[in-house]
Amino acid sequence: MLISRHIHQTASDRIWSWAFLLPVVAVLMIAAFIPLGYGLVLSFFRYKLTIATSRPAFIGLQNYFNMFRDEIFIKSLTNNVVFALLSVSIELGIGVMVAMMLSDDNRMSRLMTTFLMVPMIIAPVAAGTLWRMMLDRTYGVVNYLLSFVGIPPVSWIGDYRIALYTVVFVDCWQFIPFVALLVLSSIKSIPQSFLDAARVDGASPWKVFTKVMLPITSPVIIIVAMIRFIDAFKIFDVVFVMTQGGPGNATEMLPTYIYRQGIKFLDVGYSSATAILFIIAMSLIAWVFLRLRSLQLRRLG
Amino acid sequence: MRVGSRRVKQSYLSNFIGFPTRIIILLILFVVILFPFYWMITNAFKLEQEYYSSPPIMFPSRITGQNFIDIVQKYEVFKGLINSIMIATGATIFTVAFGSMASYSLINGALPRRLKGVFAGWFLVQKMYPAIVVAVPVFYIIRSLRLMDNVLSLIIMNTSFNLPLVILLMIGFYQEAPFEVEEQSMLDGCTLPQRYLYVTTPMVKSGLIATGMLTFVYSWNEFLYAVILTVNKSKPLTVLIAGFITDKALIWGPMAAMGCVVVFPVLMIMWLMQRDFIGGISAGALKG
Repeated sequence: MLISRHIHQTASDRIWSWAFLLPVVAVLMIAAFIPLGYGLVLSFFRYKLTIATSRPAFIGLQNYFNMFRDEIFIKSLTNNVVFALLSVSIELGIGVMVAMMLSDDNRMSRLMTTFLMVPMIIAPVAAGTLWRMMLDRTYGVVNYLLSFVGIPPVSWIGDYRIALYTVVFVDCWQFIPFVALLVLSSIKSIPQSFLDAARVDGASPWKVFTKVMLPITSPVIIIVAMIRFIDAFKIFDVVFVMTQGGPGNATEMLPTYIYRQGIKFLDVGYSSATAILFIIAMSLIAWVFLRLRSLQLRRLG
Repeated sequence: MRVGSRRVKQSYLSNFIGFPTRIIILLILFVVILFPFYWMITNAFKLEQEYYSSPPIMFPSRITGQNFIDIVQKYEVFKGLINSIMIATGATIFTVAFGSMASYSLINGALPRRLKGVFAGWFLVQKMYPAIVVAVPVFYIIRSLRLMDNVLSLIIMNTSFNLPLVILLMIGFYQEAPFEVEEQSMLDGCTLPQRYLYVTTPMVKSGLIATGMLTFVYSWNEFLYAVILTVNKSKPLTVLIAGFITDKALIWGPMAAMGCVVVFPVLMIMWLMQRDFIGGISAGALKG
């Protein structure tokens, strides 16, 4: 529609239009912009509240340099990257497969689609608690069930070599459905004639998958990958209830590390610097994905 | 023709690994998704010696309501429930009210055209940025305002988290609403708030309800700020259930009962508005 939607502009309309935006601007100022600016300022100061008389002292970029000498920070960064890459690739792989398996429009598929929504809408804290209970070494039902196929009890939470993968698993349990649902809705929008044409030409299912389905759904897949990738760097709830970042620092992630530094150890300046660096990195990642998507869209015409 | 072509889609996409394999995989998936809920519900009703037994008991021999009585008496579940309801309801009301006002104004108001693009871009960025980055400054600001342990601070934070998504969705709804009615009432001399309240918003009511439910669920599930900004009296359910884990002893029964209290309201909402829910989540995601 090219016709402008406001033909009869009056002064009162104009004033009200601005007034209608005000509450949103106010809320986002209070809850997002002012804190962000405050955080940016704090990141240039040495400011620890562990000492009651502590006054903020300006130290320039020192907090930022300190990060690269901080082993726990590096550790949580690598953990987080490993976690993000692993969970996103597993979720995408299985999610796309599940979406394809559910793409026919019969009763069973629709029922399954409904059940798929259940894990993704419950509180991540609840999901973490649930799996913490089931993965317990002695009382957990998972080890019990595995004992039937001859697998000895595994310390899913307590073993530093395994804990990170346990967190990956719980994340996958919650969000494979998310990927599957979004990809499914995109598969359903593929024109039937494309698939008919492919069949007439005698294309194998694999060919249909790689030559018809993947290209058409790829913009959606890229966006879903971006959302999950960014979300993977926001992980907090599940780690908090399952492992508390432990054992050792085996499952420490960036959000839990910022939380620990800022809220637990009251190192305001340093944790603010970490947060600022974090948001810069996130913006870069989002930019890369959006660029990728627009390239893909252009290629598809 | 239609029947035939539908079968093509079926055999070419959904059965790409062969029909039996597909059924087996879907069955496994089904069990993995739903078994945790079976485990939660049965544990919530198990006797103490049964939830503490090793090996675990798959089918409880007797059921008891003791775990639910326990969470009411010892773990303040009512207080948590009231807090959760207050936080989620408050955030939903503010988000829907403020969000619909802003999106109405951006679509039907008399604003410079460019502004819409600016705001849409802003909300997109806002929607993606991780909440943790402002956690520390918010913590200190709230503390110095003496708003710690106050549901109001959580309502404000949840409103700010949900506004971007809600506005992006609502812009779509308002855009689809027929403009002729709006135009007519404009000629009849209705002011902008009157048109918003009585003319256009009633036409997008179902959209508002769907986004409202989405906001309710997200605020109900929110944990990070709930754990940072509450100390004692305003802890919502998510913080209470996490409290079971940080203690040295893990009391499975009451914990599972608490899990039921956290999860069931959300499942009910989902069941009530299934279709809108998928639509909302996927539209919200893909608008990004």
